[in-house]
Amino acid sequence: MQSILPHLINGLTLGLLFALIALGFTLIVGVMEVINLAHGSLFALGAYFALTTISGGPLATSEFGQWWLTFPLGTRYAVAALVGPLLAGLVGALLEVCLRPTYGKASLYGLLLTFGAALVLEESIRLAWGAGEQNLRTPGAITGAMLIGGMIFSTYKVYAAGFAILAILCVWLFLEKTPYGAIIKAGAHDSEMVRALGYDLGRLRLFVFGFGAALAGLAGIVMAPIWGLRPHIGLDVVIPAFLIIVIGGVGSFWGAVIASLLVGLSVGLTGAFVPAWSMVSMYILLILIVGFRARGLLGRKSALEN
Amino acid sequence: MLNSKINRRNLLASAAAGGVATFMGPWTHNRVLAQGAAKPIMIGTTTDASGQYANSGADERRGILMAIEEANARGGLLGRKLVSTHIDTETTPATGSRVAERMIQQEKCGFLLGGVHSGVANAISQVAQKYGVIYFNTNSSSPTEAGQNCHRVKFVWDGNGTNFAKAAIKNSINAFGGTFVLLTNDYVWGHDTARTTKKQIAEFGGKVLEEILIPQGTRDFTAALIKIQQLKPSIVAAAIGGDDQKALRQQVAQLGMGNKPVWLNNQQDWPDVYGLPADNLFGVFGTTWYHELTLPGVKEFVEKYKKMYPNEAIKVPGNVFYNGYMAARELFAAIERAGTTNNIAVIKALEGHVMKARDRMQHFDAMIDARTHQVQQTIYLATANPRPKDKDDLFALLAQAEPKDVVDLDAPAACKLESYEATPTFDA
Repeated sequence: MQSILPHLINGLTLGLLFALIALGFTLIVGVMEVINLAHGSLFALGAYFALTTISGGPLATSEFGQWWLTFPLGTRYAVAALVGPLLAGLVGALLEVCLRPTYGKASLYGLLLTFGAALVLEESIRLAWGAGEQNLRTPGAITGAMLIGGMIFSTYKVYAAGFAILAILCVWLFLEKTPYGAIIKAGAHDSEMVRALGYDLGRLRLFVFGFGAALAGLAGIVMAPIWGLRPHIGLDVVIPAFLIIVIGGVGSFWGAVIASLLVGLSVGLTGAFVPAWSMVSMYILLILIVGFRARGLLGRKSALEN
Repeated sequence: MLNSKINRRNLLASAAAGGVATFMGPWTHNRVLAQGAAKPIMIGTTTDASGQYANSGADERRGILMAIEEANARGGLLGRKLVSTHIDTETTPATGSRVAERMIQQEKCGFLLGGVHSGVANAISQVAQKYGVIYFNTNSSSPTEAGQNCHRVKFVWDGNGTNFAKAAIKNSINAFGGTFVLLTNDYVWGHDTARTTKKQIAEFGGKVLEEILIPQGTRDFTAALIKIQQLKPSIVAAAIGGDDQKALRQQVAQLGMGNKPVWLNNQQDWPDVYGLPADNLFGVFGTTWYHELTLPGVKEFVEKYKKMYPNEAIKVPGNVFYNGYMAARELFAAIERAGTTNNIAVIKALEGHVMKARDRMQHFDAMIDARTHQVQQTIYLATANPRPKDKDDLFALLAQAEPKDVVDLDAPAACKLESYEATPTFDA
């Protein structure tokens, strides 16, 4: 009889990582009502930017590159964890500018545009970094293995889960405790009222999209050492992220976090006991939850339900 | 503003027109694709450029193109130039079918080459058989490809799961003990490979503690790795392919589980491991070729690759490139032996053909099995190289198995090749 405890720990860890992946996605959907199908490509892009930052990329052989490579891996990794999301955020902001003509039209336009952007970004990655598998190096302090309850766990995965908790808390604090967060939430609730109060809605959207893209890039950096890094890795991201916001309730921050933990637990536990069902378990969870509660766990009540 | 014309009536009309066109399509069996002597021979490369085998697809395509260039440099075949055309098969069986149809019907390809994913290769071969077009499955290694899914027009160039299992299981049981956990990708190649692995384990007195099925697309293997720790097998036999394998490798390396238990990775394709850190390459695995083999012709072959592809990320050829190149080269040799591009004549020139070890840069002669159309060849067992002489020297070869010792004995019974008469005939 195998112990369930390590699998529960694994499920929760996995859930936290799913939450990190879904954070940017839920923010963009919540505020802008745009399903950003390029989320996965921005996730990949963040990791690739970090890869180049750590290795020095094309500048590695230059004088600057040689100087840069004298820094320990930990320093370069920390800088990469800032540069990667920042650049992914800039690409996201650019994408938001491209999206502007679609506002006020059927949501299909935005969906198609972000789908096209995903294809362009993936192909650009392939051209810039090649089609092969890449290895995003991590500092020695967070690599290797550790024992938890007699079982070997990956130190990096524990670090990644801890990082996910930190990221979730930071985003929550930003949304709840800062005036910018209040404006974003107000924008999600009633954008016309926000505009009427004199806030620049265009800038708000630009910021939210860029911020969501930066979070996607950050998730890419954290996940690449676990999943590996290849141009089409974004495909692995969009579906779980989409599932999570539907299960959690569109636009609900904590709904997305709870949904992520549930998805992580379902994948982790089925992976242990009925592994053939581990991938499909998240879809079953979706059917079960949405079947009984169409707006998801913490989604806003629809006018039609009154 | 563009006035949308997509409405239900138009959609139904288009669907009906498409249906009629399909129904009225070419049903005749005997076709003539090209008659002019100077007309080029069209070669369709059905390789993946996207999806989980994009990297391997690009590599095998490079091999095919090098063989085509060599043939053209010699003046072509039968006085005709070779022209290749490529469409991305997207690592998707449905796309493979569509690509094969288009290559044959529109691009007028007389021969199709390329395939890494068994499902894609199977889909292409069904279309190829319908038209009688010779198809070379260059790199997919499901035993079913030369077993129940064999076709008269299809030739399988890679070693398959059975070949690799046979080469590895007996030695591993003797060296490391006989308790196994199987990690099986939940699709045709994984199941077929696991089936033959289990048979081998039983034959040599081993025991399977559990088989863990891994759905395709799995990115987190922690649950399986915890289970392996709990079951404590002496050997894990993994049949995990593509991106799943890459994620698995990364996570096994992070846990430091690469050495204990012992890992038997059915096959390790060169594009999947090239450029990764040494600890990502763990366990014992099979391959059909390595660029550091000390055999005649290997150095020249490697140099030729470097000259032709100086800017590729993969700096030396591996098994996938090799299989693509060898398959294309042997196809052209068969056309020359047959003295015609008639498909049936070329098929007959291929069946039972023996290829000298020296020509193939392997340790033993290889042969195209006339009963299954699989190339029976040398299988190498390898592991990570603890003392690499340069950054490309990733493998340490442990042993080489003769083709007769690793032959898939179940394949001839499972394979029912269509008769020559039932195969449409044409001159490419």
